[in-house]
Amino acid sequence: MTTKVKVLLIEDDKSITSFVTTALEGSGYKVTNASKGREGVSLAASFCPDIILLDLGLPDIDGIEVLKQIRSWSNVPVIIISARTKEQEKVIALDLGADDYITKPFGTGELMARIRTSLRHIHTKTPGHIYRALDLEINFEKRMIRLEGKEVHLTQIEYQLLTLLAENSGRVLTYSYIMNAIWGPYMDNNNQILRVNMANIRRKIEKNPAQPQYVFTEIGIGYRMLENEYQI
Amino acid sequence: MKHFSITLRTLPPWKQHLHSVMLSLFFMSIALVACFLYHQIVPDHSANIALIFILALICISRYTVGYMYGLFCSLAAVILINWIFTYPYFKINFTTGTYPITFIIMLGISLFTSTMTSHLTELADVIAQKERQLIEAENEKMRANLLRAISHDLRTPLTGIMGSSSLLLDKPDILSEEEKRAILTNIYEDSDWLLHMVENLLTITRMQGNNFDISTCDEALEEVISEALLKFHKRYPGQQVIVHFPEEFIMLPMDAILIEQVTVNLLENAVMHSHTDKPIDFLVEDHPDNVTFTIRDHGVGIPRNLLEHLFDGTAYLATQIADTRKGMGIGLSICKTIITAHNGTLIGQNHADGAEFIFTLPKIHQASQRRNHYDHQS
Repeated sequence: MTTKVKVLLIEDDKSITSFVTTALEGSGYKVTNASKGREGVSLAASFCPDIILLDLGLPDIDGIEVLKQIRSWSNVPVIIISARTKEQEKVIALDLGADDYITKPFGTGELMARIRTSLRHIHTKTPGHIYRALDLEINFEKRMIRLEGKEVHLTQIEYQLLTLLAENSGRVLTYSYIMNAIWGPYMDNNNQILRVNMANIRRKIEKNPAQPQYVFTEIGIGYRMLENEYQI
Repeated sequence: MKHFSITLRTLPPWKQHLHSVMLSLFFMSIALVACFLYHQIVPDHSANIALIFILALICISRYTVGYMYGLFCSLAAVILINWIFTYPYFKINFTTGTYPITFIIMLGISLFTSTMTSHLTELADVIAQKERQLIEAENEKMRANLLRAISHDLRTPLTGIMGSSSLLLDKPDILSEEEKRAILTNIYEDSDWLLHMVENLLTITRMQGNNFDISTCDEALEEVISEALLKFHKRYPGQQVIVHFPEEFIMLPMDAILIEQVTVNLLENAVMHSHTDKPIDFLVEDHPDNVTFTIRDHGVGIPRNLLEHLFDGTAYLATQIADTRKGMGIGLSICKTIITAHNGTLIGQNHADGAEFIFTLPKIHQASQRRNHYDHQS
């Protein structure tokens, strides 16, 4: 018998706790709840969860503070549960090391998908050699990108950008994270150069740039690439 | 200066009086200096000197608070003229020649002008206040309309949710599995609609204050459009949208979340009110000064009696409610508010076979300039 994946849910709202717990337990996860931030931090230490779902609006301490404390000693995947209008809050949480976020209200299907993505990333530390989704294939070793079997030519920066997203496929990467990874820490805050490069990539790999299939924009936050279908 | 006298009245009383004293002293000293110069050049002509002082007095009465400063200064002026500018110089003497008459006339003129100008200032204040009240009343009316539309739109799905769930709670035994499923589907759909409404309302909170100030930054147009389409397709998976989009990469100043909301609202309106499954056209056109977005359906069009009420949040009153559930309550008035805050335009009209909504966004943003202006101030 395989051991159950342990989920820690830090959330103060009873009805959200109840439906998330029911849904997760139904899918074979073991769930523990904390309704307060401090309780959540101590449970994260004692319960050793495989993944944490963290609501940012908690009654005692700020969810961001909980995230900081957990991140000071643990790399366990954290998924933020946040309200729609607070993009800035999401960006802060992601830059502080949260793995992903999900916006209230959410369906159980969406939640399960996010949890699976985050767990997969923690289990495959070394990125695969191939990214494949729909008609797009990236071979990281040969540095080759094919769309419907035909080779696509990208500039150096565009290639770095696309592979960065592909290696983290399914997860949202913030503008500042991407800027840092590609252009280094001394680039100024203006992310127009990033937008222009993304637009060029889109024109090369998407059939219709206004209805992309591979790289999605999370407005005010960053970019997310379609999940890798290739199994290692 | 009208502006100045109004701002003066918004200061605390002691500051108002301080201002008035300073202004009185200022005008009086200017008049005094002018008279001195005049007297040096043309001595023995005190009539013009009196006129100079009267001019100063009018200015004082106009820009100080109350009658007192004008009155006091007119007395001072009469004494000064007598003392400095009439023979015998530097002596107070009210008995020479016709001077008593000059004195009385001048005092009369000063009193009369100071009361008149003070009255004028008060009148200007009253008018300004009336204007403010009028604007407030207008805002109040808009707010009331919006609230009425909101409660109308919120109550309908809530009634559905409460009714369905109480049915499930009270009579679980007599319902078949199929019926239960139908009821649950209704609850889900109604809450989805509610969520949609709340998101619309939340967008209003992004615009702050009475002026609906927004903070804009340059956004890649295609990213905003694609997000809006993605969101729309999540709600209406079957509905086809034909997008015509310029090839070039366009950055446009906007609040992306708000523009996304407008686009989604207009697309959803096209689905809900056109009574057809035909594809919706979505055109984006790049012009030198602005970008226009056209959302065109090929359905029944907008009823004639609705056309003039589209954006004021009262459209549902005019319909006699054929679309009871999906009333055209607040969606469009929120769109209008958002686009106006971006200094763009939004119109709704009928074309040959259906309705179209067109909004434009300017390329250079007034609001961002205004914001820079504030930045400099702070």
